[in-house]
Amino acid sequence: MQREEDRSVPGYCKAAVIMLVCLALCLAMNVTGHAEEKKKEPAAAPATVKSPLKFKDYNVVFVSFDALQAAHVHSLGYPRDITPTIDAMAKKGFNFTTNISTASWTVPASMTWFTGVYPSEHKLTNKFAVFNPPNNVISNLKKLSPNVVTLAELLKGNGYVTGGFTGNAGVNGFFGYDQGFDTYFYEKGKFGSMGVSLPKALEWLKDNKDKKFFMFLHGYDMHGQGVPEGGFDYRFVEKGYDRKYTGSAAEQEALREEGLEKGAVALRDEDVKFWRAIYDEKIQRTDARFKKFLEEFEKLGLMDRTIFVLTSDHGTEFHEHKRFDHGFSLYDELIHVPLIIKLPKQKHGKIIKDQVSSVDVMPTILDLLDVTVPEKVRAQMRGSSLVSAMKGKKVAKDVFFETDYRLYTYKRGIQTVEGWKLIYTMENKGRELYNIRKDPGETKNLIDKEPKLAYELEQRLFAHFKSIGHDLNARTWETGLNPVYDSQAKPAVKK
Amino acid sequence: MIRIFLIVLLCLSGAAISARGAESVSDAPKKPRHEYTNVILVSLQCLRADHLGVYGYTRDTSRNIDALAKRSVVFDNAISQANLTPVTQMSVLTSQYPRVNGMVSFEVAKDMVTSRTLPEILKYYDYTTAATLSSPEFFMRFDSESGAMINPGDVFSRSFDYYGRTARGPQGASIRTVPTDAFQWLKNNKDKKFFLWIGSGLLHMPYAAAVPAPYKTMYDPPGYTPFWKRLPAKAGESSWNDDPSYDIFSRVYHNDFYWGFKPIYHLNEDDVKYVKARYDAGVYYTDLFIGELLRLLDSLKLTEKTLVILQSMHGDDLGEHGLYFHYDVTEPVMKNALLMRFPGGEYGGKRVAELVQGLDVMPTILDFLDIPVTHEAQGTSLLPLVKGEKGAVGSEYVFIDRMPWWEYTLSKWYLELQHASGGQFTASEEARLKDYQLLLQSNFDRLGYPPGDIAVRTSEWKLIHRKNRDILEKVSWWRFITDTLQPVEELELYDLKNDPGEKQNVADKFPLVVARLKEKLLEWDALMEKRKAAYKKSDKRYIIPYP
Repeated sequence: MQREEDRSVPGYCKAAVIMLVCLALCLAMNVTGHAEEKKKEPAAAPATVKSPLKFKDYNVVFVSFDALQAAHVHSLGYPRDITPTIDAMAKKGFNFTTNISTASWTVPASMTWFTGVYPSEHKLTNKFAVFNPPNNVISNLKKLSPNVVTLAELLKGNGYVTGGFTGNAGVNGFFGYDQGFDTYFYEKGKFGSMGVSLPKALEWLKDNKDKKFFMFLHGYDMHGQGVPEGGFDYRFVEKGYDRKYTGSAAEQEALREEGLEKGAVALRDEDVKFWRAIYDEKIQRTDARFKKFLEEFEKLGLMDRTIFVLTSDHGTEFHEHKRFDHGFSLYDELIHVPLIIKLPKQKHGKIIKDQVSSVDVMPTILDLLDVTVPEKVRAQMRGSSLVSAMKGKKVAKDVFFETDYRLYTYKRGIQTVEGWKLIYTMENKGRELYNIRKDPGETKNLIDKEPKLAYELEQRLFAHFKSIGHDLNARTWETGLNPVYDSQAKPAVKK
Repeated sequence: MIRIFLIVLLCLSGAAISARGAESVSDAPKKPRHEYTNVILVSLQCLRADHLGVYGYTRDTSRNIDALAKRSVVFDNAISQANLTPVTQMSVLTSQYPRVNGMVSFEVAKDMVTSRTLPEILKYYDYTTAATLSSPEFFMRFDSESGAMINPGDVFSRSFDYYGRTARGPQGASIRTVPTDAFQWLKNNKDKKFFLWIGSGLLHMPYAAAVPAPYKTMYDPPGYTPFWKRLPAKAGESSWNDDPSYDIFSRVYHNDFYWGFKPIYHLNEDDVKYVKARYDAGVYYTDLFIGELLRLLDSLKLTEKTLVILQSMHGDDLGEHGLYFHYDVTEPVMKNALLMRFPGGEYGGKRVAELVQGLDVMPTILDFLDIPVTHEAQGTSLLPLVKGEKGAVGSEYVFIDRMPWWEYTLSKWYLELQHASGGQFTASEEARLKDYQLLLQSNFDRLGYPPGDIAVRTSEWKLIHRKNRDILEKVSWWRFITDTLQPVEELELYDLKNDPGEKQNVADKFPLVVARLKEKLLEWDALMEKRKAAYKKSDKRYIIPYP
C-alpha cells in the first residue's frame, strides 16, 4: 500500500521510514496521539528534527480545471484515456482519490482553497450579496469577510510573487478572487478558456520565473459554458446519433434551466451519452492544452522547483439525478473532484484513498512551503495539512459541503469516513441518506430505513455548522431570486 | 530511534494504567441507556405545584406523589412556555417555543406541526411509543366549516404506536377522568422497551366533575351550598350543578359574579374555600391514580429500568386576583410541578432551585438515554443541574406566550357550543353577544396567534409586556360582562422575591429592570417571529369539542 518516495529527495525519505515504524507501532497499540508527541522530542533522532516534506521557497502552480468530475479522470477510474497529462502527474504525485469539494459550484467552492474555510464562513456563497434590482451588490470577499486572510496574501507576505490567470466568471476579480495577487487575469464577460489564460501565465513567467512564485491557473474549457474555439470535432460521439443536440453553450444553458425550473430534464439515454462524449472531448482538449503549458514550463527550467496542485472546484452532472449542470445538488458527481499534489522532483507517486476535503488544500500548501503562518490564519483554517497523509498517516475524516443556489435551494451535507452521506435541504427540511460505498450512484434514499443513523448524522451536520459560527437554526430559509447566471436575472430586471 | 521506541512504550503503559484505574469496576463497555431504559412521562393538566405536599401544601392531598418525590429530583422552579394545554405541551414534546413548532392554539390541525417530537426521536431508537390520555385537548377535532369529525388522533398522535383515550363522552369528546387505560397498556407491553405518555385532564374545570364519591366532597366545607345555587332563580341556571365550572367562573371578575352586566354577588372566603376543596379533591384522586401506577410499575418489575417524569402542563388560578382558570400568566398558572425519578432512584431526594422550563424536559430525557439532543431543541438538558455540575445554572430567562383564554375561545366556538346546549346568557347579554364575537374575530387572526401578549420570567422578576394593550382592552371579556372599560397595563413587573402573589405592579419603581427585561423579551419575540412555523395556505383550521 505504501510506496517509497523518490530517493533523490534529500532527508525526508529516511525520516519517513522512521516515522512509519513509529506510526505502525502506535497504530498497532491504538494510541496514535503519542506519535505526535514523539515527533517533537528534540534529541530523539536527528533525522526527524528537520521535518520532511518541507519545500521552503519553492514555487506553487495551482490548477483548477473548472467542472472536472472525478469520475471522468482516467487515473481515477474512467475507462476512456482522455487525461494523459493529468494522469502522468497523478502517477508521479500524490493522488487523493476521495477528495470532496465544500460546494458544488465555482463561486463558493473555489474560495475555500484560498481561505481554508467553508463557504458559510468566507460568505462568498452567491454572485450577489444583495439582489434587489436595480440596487444589486456583487459579493466580494473583502466586504463580506474583511478579516479573512487569503492564501495569496499570506504567500505574498512571505516574499512570493503571485499571479492568477483565470477564465473569469465564478473566479473573477470582482468577487475578491484577486485578493493577494500581484497580477490577476480574467477576461470580463467571458467563461474564459485555458487557451487564453495559460499563455498569459507563461508570458508572466518570463518576467517572474527567477522569483519564487505562486500561480493560479484556471479555465472553463470543461465547463458547460466552455466550447472549443473552432467547435467540436465530436471525436467521441457515437456514430448514428441523431444530433438532436450539438453541444453548444446555449443548449447546455437551456437544459440547466429546464432542470432548475421543472426539477428534471427530459433526456434520452443517447443524449446523455452524447453529452458525456462532448464532455470527454473538452477534457481531452484541455488536457492537451495543459500538456503544452507543462512543456513550456519545463523549458523555463522550473519543474524541479515547483509544487503542482491539480484539482477542480466541482464536478458536473449528466442526468444522474435528472438534472443537468451543477450547483443545485450535492451529489457525488458534483462534489467528488480530483486532487493531485506533485512535489518537486517527485518520481513515484502514491494513491491516497482517505477521504479528504478541499478545505485541507490551503493548510497543505502552507505546510509544504514551510512558511510562517500567523496564529490568526492558523485559527482561521478549518482543514488540516495533508502532508501527514503523504507520510503515510491515516487522515480520512468526515467531510462537509454546502450549496446556496439561492434562486432555488439551500443544501448542507456530511459524508462520513464510512461512506454515509446525508444531504439536508434547509428550506423544506428535506433529508436524503445514501450509502456511497454500496450505492455510489446515490439512487436509494435510506432515510426511512436508517432513521437512527440519519438522525445522528443530522445532529453532527448541524453541530458542525454551529461550531463554525453558523447556527442553521438561527435564521429562516426562504428561496428567492439571487441569480447565478445573467439569464436568470432577466425576469427580475423586467419587474 | 530506540529512544522514541522507549518513550512510546512508556507512554503506552502509562495510558493503560490510568485507563484501568478509571474503569476498575466493570471493564465491559457501557451500553447506551436507550438500549434498556423505559420512559414514562406523566403530564397533568391544571396541576398547581403548590397544592402538593412536596411543594409545601398543608392539606394532605398527595401522599403518593410525595413518596415519589422522595425518590426523585424535585424541581422547585419549573415554568411553562404557555398557559394553554396543547400549546405548552407541544413545547414540551418538541422542546420548541410554541411559535416555532406552530402549535399556538386549538386551531392547529394535524400536519401543521412538522417539528420533530420526542416519540418520533425515540422511535428511531426502537422504542415502542404509546399515549394514554384523558384530556379532550389531545383528541379529535371538528372541521369548523362542515362540522364533520376529523380523523381521530390529531397533531399529538404523530409517532405514537398507540394513541388512546380513557373514556369517550356522549358528544364524542373525552371525559376528563384519570387515564387508567395506561394500566392495561403497561401490562400488555411490559416486556417492550417503551415510551409511555400519560396525560390526565381530570383537574381541569369543572372541578372534580369526574371524581367519584366519597372523594369528590371530601374537603367540602361542612354545610356549604355553592353560591350559584343561592342566587335568584333567573341567574341560577338549572344546568349548573355543584361542580365549579367555567360557565360560572367566566362570570367572575375580581370575585364579583356578573349577570346581565351587573355584579349580583361577591364571592367570600367560604366560596373560595369551596372551589379549592373541589380542586383539591381532584388532586387527591389524581394522586391515588399515581399511587396505583407506581405500584403497578413495581409489580411489573419496571421501576428499576424506567425513567418516570411527572410534570404539570400548567396550573390554574383559584381566586388569586379574584380570578379563576388559566386565563393569564400568573404564578399559579405558570409555575409547575416537575419531578424526575431516575432508574434506581439515582439522585433521589435532590431539589433543584434553579429556574428550569418545559422546553428542558425533552433534552433531559434524550441526554439521559445517551441519545444526541436534536439541534432543533430550544431547551437544554437538566442533567448537569441534576448532577450538580459546575456551571449548570438553569435558565436565566423563561419566555412565555400568552393566549387570552376567554376572549380566544369566545371568538372561536364557545358561544356556538353554549347556544347549542340551551344558552346560558341573559337576554341583554344575548343582544350584544353577536357583535362582541365579531369584534373578537376581527382582532384575532385565523390561528389565534397571541396578539403580542408575552412575558419573561427570571428567578426574581416577571415582566409581562402586552404589546397590543389597546386591543386587549377593546376585546376584553371582563369589559363585556362588566360593561365597563377595564384598563390593561402595557407593562407589568412583579418582584417575585418580595411579592410572590404578584399583588403590586412595580414597573414604575424599577425602570432599569423593566428596560433590561423588556429588551430581552423583545429580542426573543423578534426571534420567534423570524422562526415562526410557516403553514401552507391550504391548511384548514379545526375546532376542538368541549367539554
